[in-house]
Amino acid sequence: MDQLLLILLNGLVYGLLLFMLSSGLTLIVGMMGVLNFAHASFYMLGAYVAFSISTLMNFWVALIVAPLVVGALGALVEQYGLRAVHKHGHLAELLFTFGLAMIIGEVIQLIWGRWPVAYRVPESLDFPLFSIGGTAYPAYRMFMMGVSLFMFVVLYATLARTRLGLVVRAALTHPDMVAMLGHNVPRVFTMVFAGGCALAGLAGVIAGNAYQTDPGMALALGAIVFAVVVMGGLGSISGALIASLIIGLVQTVSIGLDMKLSTALGRIGLHVDGITALSDVWDISINRAAPVVPFLLLVIILAINPRGLAGSRSS
Amino acid sequence: MSAAPALLLDGVVKNFGLVHVLRDVNITVAAGERHAIIGPNGAGKSTLFHMITGRFPVSGGRISLHGRDITDMSSYDIYRLGVARSFQVTSLFNRLSVFENLRVGAMRNKGAGHAWWRLLDGYGPLRERAEEMLEMLGLTARRNVPAGLLAYADQRALEIGLAIVGGATTILLDEPTAGMSRHETERAVALIRRVSEGRTLVIVEHDMGVVFDLADRISVLDNGRVIASGTPADVRGDPAVRSAYLGAAAEVLT
Amino acid sequence: MRTISHTLPWVIAVVLVLVAPHVFGSGFSISLLCRMAIAAVFALSFNMLMGQGGMMDFGHAVYLGLGGFLAMHVMRAADAGWWIPTPALPIVGAFGGVVAAGLGGLVVSRSTRTAFAMITMGLAEAIVALVLMLPRLFGGEEGINADRSGGPPIFGFDFGSPLEAYYVIAFWALAAAGLMFLFTRTPLGRLSNAVRDNAERVGFLGYNPGRVRYFVYMFSGLFAGLAGGLQAINDEIITSANIGSNAAGAVLLMTFIGGVGTFAGPVVGAVVVTLMQMALGTVTEAWQLYNGLIFIVMVLWAPGGISGIILAHAPLVRSGQARRLVPSYLTVLPGFVAALLGTIGLSENAYRLQSIRGGSPPGGSIFGIPSDPQTMTPWLVSLALTAVGLWLVARTAPRARAAWLEIAGGTQA
Repeated sequence: MDQLLLILLNGLVYGLLLFMLSSGLTLIVGMMGVLNFAHASFYMLGAYVAFSISTLMNFWVALIVAPLVVGALGALVEQYGLRAVHKHGHLAELLFTFGLAMIIGEVIQLIWGRWPVAYRVPESLDFPLFSIGGTAYPAYRMFMMGVSLFMFVVLYATLARTRLGLVVRAALTHPDMVAMLGHNVPRVFTMVFAGGCALAGLAGVIAGNAYQTDPGMALALGAIVFAVVVMGGLGSISGALIASLIIGLVQTVSIGLDMKLSTALGRIGLHVDGITALSDVWDISINRAAPVVPFLLLVIILAINPRGLAGSRSS
Repeated sequence: MSAAPALLLDGVVKNFGLVHVLRDVNITVAAGERHAIIGPNGAGKSTLFHMITGRFPVSGGRISLHGRDITDMSSYDIYRLGVARSFQVTSLFNRLSVFENLRVGAMRNKGAGHAWWRLLDGYGPLRERAEEMLEMLGLTARRNVPAGLLAYADQRALEIGLAIVGGATTILLDEPTAGMSRHETERAVALIRRVSEGRTLVIVEHDMGVVFDLADRISVLDNGRVIASGTPADVRGDPAVRSAYLGAAAEVLT
Repeated sequence: MRTISHTLPWVIAVVLVLVAPHVFGSGFSISLLCRMAIAAVFALSFNMLMGQGGMMDFGHAVYLGLGGFLAMHVMRAADAGWWIPTPALPIVGAFGGVVAAGLGGLVVSRSTRTAFAMITMGLAEAIVALVLMLPRLFGGEEGINADRSGGPPIFGFDFGSPLEAYYVIAFWALAAAGLMFLFTRTPLGRLSNAVRDNAERVGFLGYNPGRVRYFVYMFSGLFAGLAGGLQAINDEIITSANIGSNAAGAVLLMTFIGGVGTFAGPVVGAVVVTLMQMALGTVTEAWQLYNGLIFIVMVLWAPGGISGIILAHAPLVRSGQARRLVPSYLTVLPGFVAALLGTIGLSENAYRLQSIRGGSPPGGSIFGIPSDPQTMTPWLVSLALTAVGLWLVARTAPRARAAWLEIAGGTQA
């Protein structure tokens, strides 16, 4: 039972982190129609910038400054890159972000090297907060959850209470109508893109030290964030939240289960035997299958409803 | 069976969320009739077309074609039963040439299906149909121009062409002459009259000259309801229509 | 006239393919030619979706990989004594590809555009992870291998030598390219263009656009699988890396650089990118960075790819007007070259500096010019070249563009 609580807590932390990435991406995809391939690269950039700032100064400065730096970079990319390719259509925009992701990945390796950097949890937060069934729970994880929840509230308030939020929400439901709202649409786009990048950067700041900061982190998480956004339904923030939490929990739970599939099936009364080329499937322990879980979930959910969990638009 | 109307709308309702676009629409279109649907902007005319052709699901009521229920069918199944349509907002294959647009339009009914084992050029009747249509639309000289680069009036002509090239028995045209000059409109009306010979035509149109020139019967839609339906003379004298049409169009009606 | 202009490129292609290994006879060249041919088939199959069908498939390498794995298993069976000649293996690969795409298409073909792209990516990730989890079938990280000369000999050839393998691969590559070209002129091929341009309208012309997408997806998978079979013959090994996102990214790069708007564009891209990979891969570590930069530059300034540029200038060359463009194009050249050299200098110095930090001996050179990244000079020179070059390009490009518009517009009118 305690074990389960621990896994659930970790799953929640991870799920909220996914949401910090997927909320920004879903806004960008839903509003601008740009499938931003570089989104996870901005997450990685956040972690690396935070690493440098925290070595030069300290973590708390990094927590504020790094997301702003990443957000500003995002604004530049939108203004001088994406806007120029916009006239060539969605495909060109997508390819642009694809190239951008390659460049960010390489430049990061050039500046910070090919191996993980020693980005550590700040000492002031590096202590066990409480223990569950004898396992100490790190305070930093609760801090991550706190930051995520705070950002969630800020995002919600921005969308619900401000003029910008009003335009964004209108644009999400009726993308063709944005231009008629009489607002400075290019500026709204820049702000949404920059905001999404800043959120991704913040996720990198708080996750880079809890997990690991290395050049592969964008690739590893990027595909999962894509799965979350599609699963939630393109352009749906609430869908992204639900999908983030589901994937966060399911993946954490499956990592926690060190059990072969055949054993698990045996528990529920299904017995598999015989050796065929595919029988390796039954010998896979569930935690090793964890990387596939988000994508299998995605395929299943889309087979049921091509629009995802909460999507009102098909594309 | 043969007595059944070509198109029957029985209490059709459409809501978008809390907005009632169509409240209770009843229209009967006899086979071979040219039927015009008129009404002020926002009356729900285009929505009605979307309902008939399966673009959006209805919220209530039934639609039948020659006595056959088509209410919940997909757009392509409805097309296969002989209903083709044009769009108010031009909707072409922009990167394909005018000729290829028409060929795609006629493909289904000329038996090409999804064939991958035969070249398109091998379908003689298909090519002939597309050529014939080019001639009728007056687009022969522009046959190799990508549809997206055509002048507006030519695009509108091609839009009509896409609806009729397949030889459907029931043709729905959504404001076919919108944005055309007087001269272009006359040509389009002549074309529509010619191709709708022996077929059922339902047309949404703002140009009252076109409507009264072309239509055998007229239904007037206002605020999601049919407020009048009948011959042009009946509709012209209807007091409800007059009150709905206070404004520019009223002069045409008198 | 029309038939000549259509068949002439094919005749040239056949002659080139037959003659090439005798002109560039070294082992290295023949292996390079094989890679190009395989990449060309793969890129053409990818462009059936991307350019002709408007479908962005981020998991296209899955079908190459699965076709390749199936062909490899059959090749192993042939090594073990089954009567399966090596030249028939691409058919096996094609079969694997079409079956896999038939299943995958059920999941993806209901979606369009952005959703389609994302779902293909998710599906591919799932399949790659599954492949790694089934070592008995896919050989884990090492993949599976076989000997292509183990099959039954045909007319005395066992296809073990590179040249014999080349002719098998070249034959199938030409055949596949020909079939894919014919596909563009069938009703289904034309329908895929229509779905790309306006899927909804296709629905009102009696076709289910999802169904059209599904069929086209299967054909594309078929030819990708065929490319996988060719790869199995060429490499005699298939690993999970052939399935993954790097392979999918490479085909996207090739197709886009070659140009999605023409049939031959992907072939051009496959040849150019394969050459660049081979040439640059041996002299620079910065290949990935250059990849990304080339990509961005193309997206921004030449979204039609190489074939798009050729297509835009071909009528001018034919009418002899191109000569008038040369002067204004030449004015852009110095700035472009300077910016290019500067960028190369910056990247090479950065990579060099990194390996020095990693323990390599200090110093270094670029194009034979000594360049020590631990001193200021190379950095300042590169930076200055880049800045001045970009400034020059920004000043001269608008005039070159105006000249092009004027002359091109003149020929059209």
